[in-house]
Amino acid sequence: MATSNNTIVKFEKVGIRYGTGPEVLRDINFDLAEASFSFLTGVSGAGKSSLLRLMYLATRPNRGLVTMFGKDVTTVTRNELPAIRRNIGVVFQDFRLLNHLNIFDNVALPLRVSGAPEDVVDKHVSELLTWVGLADHLKALPPTLSGGQKQRVAIARAVIARPRLLLADEPTGNVNDAIAVRLLYLFEELNRVGTTVVIATHNEALVDRFGHAQLHLDKGSITHRRVEPNS
Amino acid sequence: MGPRSDLPLSDNPAIRILPWIIALMVYLATLTLAGGLLVATMADEWSRSLTGALTVQVTPTKSESSVELDARVAQATRTLLKTPGVKSAHAIPLAEISAMLEPWLGPESNIADLPLPRLIAVTLDRELDREALAQRLQKTPGAEIDDHEYWRTHLVMFLRSLEIVAVIMVSLIGVTTATIVVFATRSGLAVHLEVIEVLHLIGAPDDYIASQFQRHAQRLGFIGGVAGGVFGVATLLGLSTLAGNLDGAALPSFQNWHWPVLAALPIASAYIAKWTARRIVIRALTSMV
Repeated sequence: MATSNNTIVKFEKVGIRYGTGPEVLRDINFDLAEASFSFLTGVSGAGKSSLLRLMYLATRPNRGLVTMFGKDVTTVTRNELPAIRRNIGVVFQDFRLLNHLNIFDNVALPLRVSGAPEDVVDKHVSELLTWVGLADHLKALPPTLSGGQKQRVAIARAVIARPRLLLADEPTGNVNDAIAVRLLYLFEELNRVGTTVVIATHNEALVDRFGHAQLHLDKGSITHRRVEPNS
Repeated sequence: MGPRSDLPLSDNPAIRILPWIIALMVYLATLTLAGGLLVATMADEWSRSLTGALTVQVTPTKSESSVELDARVAQATRTLLKTPGVKSAHAIPLAEISAMLEPWLGPESNIADLPLPRLIAVTLDRELDREALAQRLQKTPGAEIDDHEYWRTHLVMFLRSLEIVAVIMVSLIGVTTATIVVFATRSGLAVHLEVIEVLHLIGAPDDYIASQFQRHAQRLGFIGGVAGGVFGVATLLGLSTLAGNLDGAALPSFQNWHWPVLAALPIASAYIAKWTARRIVIRALTSMV
């Protein structure tokens, strides 16, 4: 299967199982073009989180081929993984903020990990936290924040290093519909500046409202794929 | 303010106890190494002093008067002084021999009544032909050379064995310190597994994570090492003062170069902690995705 120049994620006959259990994902085939926007839908247990874990390289498939940014990630060495991961921003379902670090340091992590100078870190993190409305909470620790505030910190951490691919696992799961819509507008804005966005959600109403491409998972298989009209 | 860390390593009780254990290890290493250095100094000093000396013993014969014995001692002394390589030779006075024997015979003893051999202390200014000297002394009946060779060989061998034991003990203390760091680091890895996974997923290379563990371990190793070293040196100074009070005791003393060697122990403990932690973390991270 040929990979076009602007394809940044490609799954070919991918399967994964945990331990000796049944496959939670079977024969997954899809590709994502650069600067595309996709929803990953399906009921709980359909395999959305497993598919995202494969995409953010937290695990490797048992079979099949996963190509990210032109590299076969099933065969890359450990030393190559960090550079690939720095192209990916992840908003975890449970946020996974580091509770011992204040929100400034949480958001700064991806920049510091990539060796950015502290003056650059200060400037970018302060700007982004102002943009997501948390400028007054720079020194706050995550346990003192509300669910919505944590969500915004998690998003800020995912996008601070301008990743080429943004993956969000149920980012609207802990917020009301109004905030969910605002978050989606935020993701669309990032998409407009070139970031490929994949949002896992079971909120069909939101998916219908925004009308982007959709990968639907059912019992470990992609059952249908609706492609956005302009892709 | 120290370097920033993304891992709350100080929160782990197993790591908090590390400086205390390292302090104890460095304390023991300081005392052991100091003992080894003193023994080495002692072996060198004794070996050097005995190499340039020998004793000639003149044994009294039956019914020989002290005047006759003195005459033989004087003859042997003259022979020695004429021998090339002999720097000095003098008969050890009876009073001095008496003083040496007093602890065993008591102050009231009259050693003049005892058939004790007379001793001539000889110092040399170069290597001497022992056979030639023995032949020269044959004209003085009962004169025998004691060049301390047997005693010196065995004593120095014993002291060198003590040195080796000290080196082995310091090495074992180093290995024990490294083992403790291994367990503390593994505990830290287990406690902070989730944070480590997050760091990995946002693109942190193994080296970035390992450097945080190794920096922390090095700092704790140095703090513990300095504390142990300070207490160790204080103990040595106390013992040294006590030894100084022992009048006439042939105890060795510290040389100037000993102190930098002992001061290197806290630095060594810091580096042992650093490299052990790094090795363990890198090995553990390699097994992760």
